[in-house]
Amino acid sequence: MTATLPAQQVARRPPQRLRISAPTALALIWAGGLASVALWWKDTPFVIGLGGWLTNAGRITGLLAGYLLVVLLALMARIPALERGVGTDQLARWHGMIGRYTVSLAVAHTLLIIWGYAVSAHTGVVAQTGTLLTSYPDVLMATVATGVLVAVGVVSARAARRKLRYETWHFIHLYTYLAVALAFSHQFSTGADFVTNRPARVLWSALYIGVAALLIWFRMAQPVVQALRHRLRVVEVRRESPDTVSIWLTGRHLDELGAEPGQFFRWRFLAKGLWWAANPYSLSAPPRPDLLRITVKASGDHSKALTSVRPGTAVLAEGPFGAFTAARRRHRRVLLLAGGVGITPLRALFESLPGGPGEVTLVYRAGSPRELVLRDALEWIARDRGTQVHYLLGPRGHGRRADPLSAATLARLVPGLPAHDVYICGPPGMTHEARRVLHQAGVPRRQIHHESFTF
Amino acid sequence: MKRIVLAIAGTVAGLAALLSFKSHTALSARGALPAASLPSASPATPAPSTSGPSTSRPSRSAPSSSPPSASTGTRTVAGQAVQTQYGVVQVQVVLSGNKIKNVSFLQLTAYDPRSEAINSAAAPILLQQTLAAQSSQIDGVSGATYTSEGYVQSLQSALDQAGVR
Repeated sequence: MTATLPAQQVARRPPQRLRISAPTALALIWAGGLASVALWWKDTPFVIGLGGWLTNAGRITGLLAGYLLVVLLALMARIPALERGVGTDQLARWHGMIGRYTVSLAVAHTLLIIWGYAVSAHTGVVAQTGTLLTSYPDVLMATVATGVLVAVGVVSARAARRKLRYETWHFIHLYTYLAVALAFSHQFSTGADFVTNRPARVLWSALYIGVAALLIWFRMAQPVVQALRHRLRVVEVRRESPDTVSIWLTGRHLDELGAEPGQFFRWRFLAKGLWWAANPYSLSAPPRPDLLRITVKASGDHSKALTSVRPGTAVLAEGPFGAFTAARRRHRRVLLLAGGVGITPLRALFESLPGGPGEVTLVYRAGSPRELVLRDALEWIARDRGTQVHYLLGPRGHGRRADPLSAATLARLVPGLPAHDVYICGPPGMTHEARRVLHQAGVPRRQIHHESFTF
Repeated sequence: MKRIVLAIAGTVAGLAALLSFKSHTALSARGALPAASLPSASPATPAPSTSGPSTSRPSRSAPSSSPPSASTGTRTVAGQAVQTQYGVVQVQVVLSGNKIKNVSFLQLTAYDPRSEAINSAAAPILLQQTLAAQSSQIDGVSGATYTSEGYVQSLQSALDQAGVR
């Protein structure tokens, strides 16, 4: 089995699938937020006095928090159109940002409502809290929900997350489902905008039910369906370098997956010590109807164990995910910029991106020649395409020592750089540095596409 | 950090803008409302399906709720002030024993001229219906649903306070 495929076989483009781009997704999110505020606007004739101000501020923050909770779930529902259009890493960043905002809104809502009711009823804040908890329907449950949200928010804060194992963090996150469920009923039983407004109630429920259906379908049903349909297993493990292996997988009807070069799957290898984790790895070759390939560098426990996986091992794959594909391309000329093991999705793109001689260039940044993986295959593709692979080797820039990756070097290697689309994949530090350098070299930001593997 | 500050400032500014817009309009209506403590536009006015005495409702002290001193003789009981979407309704009931002798409005305000017209048409009918039914189980006035519901709620709270079943 050769590591590279004949060119005509990859020239076949995958069918065009639905993509929701980042601007469209953001516009949808904003529109929903405005609609929530519009609901308050329509239902509120007047705001009277301090109590009115506080209570109504509480109502608006509550509506927005209720709405954004659904958005948060939708972002993590692994909806293929979003995964392809926005990208998994970007979705995760949005989820983090909106998540922190939503927790703040929920807390603000709680405090404002207590204070507002207390002012209107001329009672103390403590007494009012008691009244709210004991005599308003479902408010007690909602208070528990807010507590859960705050706890999850604190735990997932960046500083705390580093001290936790990924699995613990993930498990704690499951409590948000509980919080959403607990918070739901008080929205209808005490929410002024819903008690008297049946159409609003119907729409709001539809939103919640719709997102729940998406979650159940794409996160629970779809993986099972995929596993049964495709029955993936390992056919060959090939050592690429002392600490890197390529794993070939076969299965049935793989073309139905609609995987594209540059995308990744979450792989779960059903072998001892591996089955409990589903880790993301990019396809390191353009997918074929009967074969998929990933290339893994031993860095963590999981990837180290993977390098000794045996042929015949059954594999569950969730995906494909990621927007790091040919669909991002806007220009004829493309620069692929790889850092270390980030070469894997770029290798697949290098082979499959359409273009004449010299239109697709690959620059590969690594610490030393020993760290270059897939080198033979890259050279082979370069010859086939009539283009070149450039290697930028050496330790990272530090103090007076210049980094091998600089604006001047790139401009020299890649004539007409500002007119290129640039795909970057590498460790976070390298990606950050590369974006800075490209900006210096005059490449507009929207021509720079990157995917980071830190989630 | 910059993003956090922006998000907070943006939210606060947005809220303030929305609320101030609504409260400007409120000033003109405020004159029509008694100066007594008004319940806010609290989200806590579900349909009075929550059975049992209304003690579970938020403590909205009505201005003159004389306690049911004796179950005999003539008593005057004020109901809750109920805020509807279009205004505030509060009734006062005169009872003789368990019999409703008279009902009147302590508050019947409207936020806009149209609601005011609807209220003034509906008010006498509601009072009449109450005297006829001798309870809060009345048909209400079609076309004045919110006022009718608020009226029934306030009336029922007065009857509950008086211990009339």
